[in-house]
Amino acid sequence: MKLESVKRYAKKELNGWWIISLIGAAVILLPILYVFLEIFQEPNENWYQIREYLLGNYVINTIILVFFTGILTIFLGVTLAWLTSAYDFPFRKFFRWGLILPLAIPPYIAAYTYRTMLSYTGIVQSTLRNQWDVQINPELLSFSSLRGAIFVFTIFLFPYVYIIARAFLESQSSSYIENARLLGRKPTAVFFKIVLPLARPAIIGGAGLVIFEVLSDYGVTSYFGIHTITTAIFQTWFGMYDVDTAMRLAAWLMFIIIGVFILERLLRQRKRYHLSNKSKPLVPIKLKGVPAAAAFMFCTIVLSLGFIIPLFQLIAWAGLTFDKVWDISFFTLLTQTVSIAAISTAIIIIVATIIANVCRSKWAFPYILSKVITSGYSIPGAIIAIGVLAVFIQLDETLAPLYSYMGLGDAPLLLSMSIVMLIVGYVIRFMATGYNAVEVGFEKIGTKYTEASRLLGHGITKTFFRVELPLIKGALFSGFILTFVEICKELPLVLLLRPFNFETLATKTFQYAKDEMIHEAAIPSLMIIAISTMSVVVFHLIDKRVKK
Amino acid sequence: MKILEIKGLTFSFTKSKEPVINDFSFSMNKGEIVGILGQSGSGKSTLLRLIAGLEIPNKGAIHIAEAPVVTEKLFVQPEDRSVGMVFQDYVLFPHMTVKDNLLFGLVRTSRNERKSRLKEMLELVQMEEFELRYPHELSGGQQQRIALARALAPQPKVLLMDEPFSNLDSDLKDSIRLELRSILKKTGITCILVTHDRNDVEAICDRSISMSRIGDGNVSSIEKRIRIK
Repeated sequence: MKLESVKRYAKKELNGWWIISLIGAAVILLPILYVFLEIFQEPNENWYQIREYLLGNYVINTIILVFFTGILTIFLGVTLAWLTSAYDFPFRKFFRWGLILPLAIPPYIAAYTYRTMLSYTGIVQSTLRNQWDVQINPELLSFSSLRGAIFVFTIFLFPYVYIIARAFLESQSSSYIENARLLGRKPTAVFFKIVLPLARPAIIGGAGLVIFEVLSDYGVTSYFGIHTITTAIFQTWFGMYDVDTAMRLAAWLMFIIIGVFILERLLRQRKRYHLSNKSKPLVPIKLKGVPAAAAFMFCTIVLSLGFIIPLFQLIAWAGLTFDKVWDISFFTLLTQTVSIAAISTAIIIIVATIIANVCRSKWAFPYILSKVITSGYSIPGAIIAIGVLAVFIQLDETLAPLYSYMGLGDAPLLLSMSIVMLIVGYVIRFMATGYNAVEVGFEKIGTKYTEASRLLGHGITKTFFRVELPLIKGALFSGFILTFVEICKELPLVLLLRPFNFETLATKTFQYAKDEMIHEAAIPSLMIIAISTMSVVVFHLIDKRVKK
Repeated sequence: MKILEIKGLTFSFTKSKEPVINDFSFSMNKGEIVGILGQSGSGKSTLLRLIAGLEIPNKGAIHIAEAPVVTEKLFVQPEDRSVGMVFQDYVLFPHMTVKDNLLFGLVRTSRNERKSRLKEMLELVQMEEFELRYPHELSGGQQQRIALARALAPQPKVLLMDEPFSNLDSDLKDSIRLELRSILKKTGITCILVTHDRNDVEAICDRSISMSRIGDGNVSSIEKRIRIK
């Protein structure tokens, strides 16, 4: 392409929106690059020690967790998705969205709730002992183990697979399933020969989300005393104050993430999955008698384990500690959580809207830009936190002469001790949640309204405020709610990046649990669950609107 | 005076190497109504998008009212070209009333003038009593008239119409065609109308151009027919 043509293209496409987008992408990319670059630095003594004695164990534990949770969530998620989309049984409509509810309970809350319930003094053992005089071998109910962590991750993360697989089965598969039935195949054969292979991309997509969550986790594994690469990052930072080694561990974890990504792509490609263009909803078969009762029981058990039992247990504990916890300091905690989440979410939605608008142009570059800015979601909070921390420490060092000139003392840690660092961390980590929602909004309205407005004499910015914004405000609202909820639940990032003495609902809950003040943890936990339920409701409403 | 002049226009989509439009030249005089006929994929809608500034050509130049809007070095943004467009599906802003849709394009008009222009446009398309309706409260034919009025309100130098009848019932088409020609002639606007229906061209246009593919290549050929009405 001639230079003149490039200039002309630039004149058409480049504007203030682009410049803001590029700055946004740079801010998001910088901490991640920082972590990567650590690989090329000379490691210190701590690193050799960790590599020699500990890293093997960390990696094995991480792989065990990822592998078993992956397999079990696929089993549970796909089975439930198939059951609720292909069959009709009592309360099916309720279970259809009710089975998303386990996502409202963050795994770290579930972990301490179940561990306490199953402990010697917990409701399970004490009821068995006092009511029926049954003594159980404590080993059998020991929950602080890899087994317990896999149970928690499976029961509380399977909805990721369930949601994506169900959406696929309900919308895409009907003609194939009907054909298989007409060709005389029995339901089990239809499931294994048609449904599973067809739903493979959806299942892998959902399982990918579960795996990223497991790799990011700090709450469950550290509470159970399981050493993974993520917990090791925390130990090297808080225990040894060694940012370089923490960054090196983060870089290794990043390689595992990239490996999972490549594996996911490889597993998805080669086959075409959407041959049928006309999709009509799958008509469920009515179950009667024993099969109907079995389907109902299965869904009830999963929902009870994943939502009802822990919720009721938390409510009971909350009753015991209400007077002690529900005071002015709790109100401060709530205000802090809500305000930090609201500020971060507002920044995310504004930046996401600007970038998503720019990315509607037909260049190849915007596609790359959109991938870059949404990469934070698959990167564990701990990696982002370490990257942000390193960048902010560097920034403080660079700005030291300016601080000194302003009379703030010699080389103070101004930015890296401030709340700004946490906000930047949140923005990077949850940009994808906001961006995807905004992108859906833009996709829905297409480019026609924009073109019409520009031909009527309005520039890009005026077109955005007068035409596009009113049309995508619903998408922006759902993006806001979903991102806000994710931030309120988030734990590893806030633990690493919060300023001294800054508490949120999540950190307080975790602190209470760590200090074995389980009953006190119930009220902040319930508050987080209540906020999280909002996102389930929003999701349900969107789903309903799409169906309409 | 030549209102629209296109010289050696070539365009291909990023992914395909074959040009959709190849070395296309064409000009129009003030007040002319030209129909562009062609099958789907022949590049007729793309031609409108190039004139409007919604796509960038690989080669060639476009002049509107003797001023260049696109050349090898220059690109004028769509909002600065003084081109009006009636889209295939009308694209009336759903969150605005008929009145607001019409006023939307009157950015460079004074407040007092806007009111009179609004009235004038609604009278022109005989939709005075629909001022406060929302687009979804109008029929297909009514929506089309409002889309036409909206495009004409800012007094563009060229009006582009992309398959304006494709969403209408066939019995409605005949009456609307005649009405459209009378509206266009009344305003004296220069207009390009893209359609795949020869009847549209015969009822409305002064002359027509057929765009078609030659052989397997995406080379477009021009076939002019003068039709004095």
